Formats: sequence, C-alpha cells, structure tokens
Amino acid sequence: MSNKINIPENYERWEAEIKIGKKEDTVTIGYWRDGCKGCGICADICPKKVWEIIEAKDKWNGQVVRVIDATNCIKCMLCEVHCPDFCIKIY
Amino acid sequence: MAFEYEKYLRMDKIPHLWCPGCGIGVVLKAMLRSLENVGWEKNDIAFVSGIGCTSRAPGYIDCNTLHTTHGRALTFATGIKMAKPDKHVVVFSGDGDATAIGGNHFIHACRRNIDMTLVVVNNNTYGMTGGQHSPTTPIGYKTSTTVYGNIDPTFDICMLAKAAGASYVARATVNKGKVLEKYITKGLENKGFSVIVATANCHTQFGRKNKMGDPISSRKWIADREIPLEKAREMKADELNDVIITGEFITDEQERTRWENYNHPIHEYTDAYKKIIEKAQKK
Ligand SMILES: Cc1ncc(C[n+]2csc(CCOP(=O)(O)OP(=O)(O)O)c2C)c(N)n1
Ligand code: SF4
Ligand code: SF4
Ligand code: SF4
Ligand SMILES: [Mg+2]
Repeated sequence: MSNKINIPENYERWEAEIKIGKKEDTVTIGYWRDGCKGCGICADICPKKVWEIIEAKDKWNGQVVRVIDATNCIKCMLCEVHCPDFCIKIY
Repeated sequence: MAFEYEKYLRMDKIPHLWCPGCGIGVVLKAMLRSLENVGWEKNDIAFVSGIGCTSRAPGYIDCNTLHTTHGRALTFATGIKMAKPDKHVVVFSGDGDATAIGGNHFIHACRRNIDMTLVVVNNNTYGMTGGQHSPTTPIGYKTSTTVYGNIDPTFDICMLAKAAGASYVARATVNKGKVLEKYITKGLENKGFSVIVATANCHTQFGRKNKMGDPISSRKWIADREIPLEKAREMKADELNDVIITGEFITDEQERTRWENYNHPIHEYTDAYKKIIEKAQKK
C-alpha cells in the first residue's frame, strides 16, 4: 500500500498535529458520512474519545458521528479497524 | 496508515446490507487485510458462500465469487479446488450454514484436510431468517425458537474442527480485528484445511432477545466472556460455562503431533489426489 494520504473527495476530513507519548506526529482522519450507519462503535472503542455520536435527521436511525478533537488521536487504528462500514481512514 | 479496502471491494455494492454495527463487516475487513498480507492475485482467488447474512460477504469482494445454497458452500468450494488445485479457495459461512444444515460437509472437509480456508462467523443464531437458535446458541439464551431459554448444548466449532482433522484452527472475536486478521492470514497460508471462527455480534436478532439489542452491548457481552485458550487449559470444565475461548487451537507440527491429534492429516487432499492420478496413468 502506498504511503500517501488517500482520502476520497466525498469524505469529511480533520487534520491535527498530535503527540504520541513524546513523539510528535500529524494525523489526518477521513470520515465517509454517506456510508456511516451511526452504529457508534468508533465512539465506543476510541481510547481517547476522539469521536462523538450526533443527531442526524436524514439517517434512518437518526445518528452519525463526528470528530470532536483530532489532536487527542494516538493513531491506534482501533476505530478504523472496527468500523464495520468502511467509513474511517486514519493517515 | 489507512488500509485501502477499495482495492478488494466491489465499491458499487457498498454500503453493504448488514445492520448498523453488525459484526460481519469487521470480519470482512479482516479478510481483506489478510488478502493483502498474503499478496495473492485477485483473479487466483475464489470466494464461496452458502446462504445467510454472513454468506453475503463474497458479494462485496472483487475476486471470483460464488453464492451457493444453504449449507453447501464447502461442497461447491471442494469442487472448485479439485478442478483448479493451484487456485485459492476461501469460504464464508454462518454458524447455521457451517454447523447445522452444513454440519456434515463441515466435518468431512476437515477430515480431508483440503487446502481451503473457512471463516465461520459465529453470531450464535440464524441472523437472516429471524433469529432462530443454532448449534452454537448457548444454553439458557433466548431466540425466536427457544422463547423460554435454549436447552440444547452447543458445538464448540474449534474443538469440532480440530477433532475432525483440520490443520489450522483458531478463534478470535470482532472486538479484536487485528487478531482476527492474524489468524485469517495464517489460515490462508496454511497448506491444508483452515478454520477460523470469528465470534460476532448479531444484536438485531440474538442480542435483541437477550437484553443487548445494540451493537455496543452485544460486543461487550462477547468481550466479557472471552477467555484465552492458555488460561482455559488451566481451568476446570465446570468453570468454563458460557465462555468464548479464543486463540489458536491447532497450528504447527508440534501441536499436530500431540497424542490427542493422533488421526490428524498426514497429507493435503489435492496433493494426494494428484498422486492417485499419476499412479493410475502409469498403468
Ligand atoms: C435449504 C435451506 N434451508 C433453509 C433456508 C433458510 N435459511 C436461510 S439463511 C438460514 C440460516 C442462517 O444462519 P447462519 O448460517 O448462522 O447465518 P447468519 O445469517 O447468522 O449470518 C436459513 C435457515 C434456506 N435458505 N435453504
Ligand atoms: S486512531 Fe485510535 S485514538 Fe485515533 S480516533 Fe481512532 S480509535 Fe481514537
Ligand atoms: S463505526 Fe463506522 S459506521 Fe459506525 S458510527 Fe463509526 S463511522 Fe459510522
Ligand atoms: S440480522 Fe444480525 S447478522 Fe444479519 S446483518 Fe443484522 S446484525 Fe448482522
Ligand atoms: Mg449465524
């Protein structure tokens, strides 16, 4: 797989400078709202509370998620691995 | 670094049809990362499935795929492997598909040790048809056909596979997608029959009837019951009630030479068949 950031146009995007332990890094979080089913697994599994569930009247179960604060991300990839719907990309 | 699932997906079929938070999506993703790990050509792989929510998985994968009849995925898959032994054959089954209607095919595929990989998504129920009890519904739990609680003892699919002769057997849960990926990768690499059981949430059917109707509480129910195989080995049978034992049940030569595996495969099936063909043609 290539090293360059590959987040499709139709994704929402958050970028931040982060610290993982003492190491400085950057993160780009991509999120595909159209594909998201609002299951809440990402918000539940994130150890740093990066995600939150929000209301979405246009979705049949009435919710989606968004990033509260990308600077807390430690790139553990738990949200990306466990989103059952291919909606999260962490670079 | 994000994984580019698009490489292996039929993107025109995404979003998939599974319920929000369904465990099958997590298993499918682990499979796609495993494909990247082994580096096979997409056109050299055939994904086969029967019927059920789990069995919809191959429909999303951009390889050769075959959606067959309930319980018979392994028989179709065996046919493909026998005709094209140099190709890779991977099967997705639900617990019902693999151990109820397809239970006989399952044990005999293990017995033959044919070089294929089976991923069983065990959500303890018939998800697709309304949450009937399956051979893996734990005792005491409610389903649409056990409304006062199930009294049928369960199969342990890993123990069954191991006893029947599969040469790689492991179980992981959808709470640990990276472990699932590791086991599926090892299963794909194993030259012989590999069984990977993915314990998954079907909160919509199984969960809803057991006070865990959302994905988070169903996933927690799984997490609370997980016991690593090493720890389980030290425990007494009656302490292992309503648990999910995870780990690699059978892996390498060392494990295969333990006495309780005395009837374990000495050969892989398509190899043995090739030798028979050669023998017959000499005459
Ligand atoms: C021969 C036959 N019998 C019964 C059915 C009905 N049926 C469809 S899926 C299914 C069970 C699915 O359970 P499982 O294999 O565990 O898959 P899940 O939906 O839970 O992933 C049954 C009984 C069928 N399609 N064909
Ligand atoms: S990568 Fe880890 S820390 Fe970052 S948002 Fe995802 S789960 Fe949270
Ligand atoms: S895990 Fe995926 S589908 Fe579920 S809420 Fe998060 S982004 Fe949406
Ligand atoms: S019914 Fe159960 S197994 Fe089927 S998609 Fe919904 S949660 Fe998944
Ligand atoms: Mg099932």
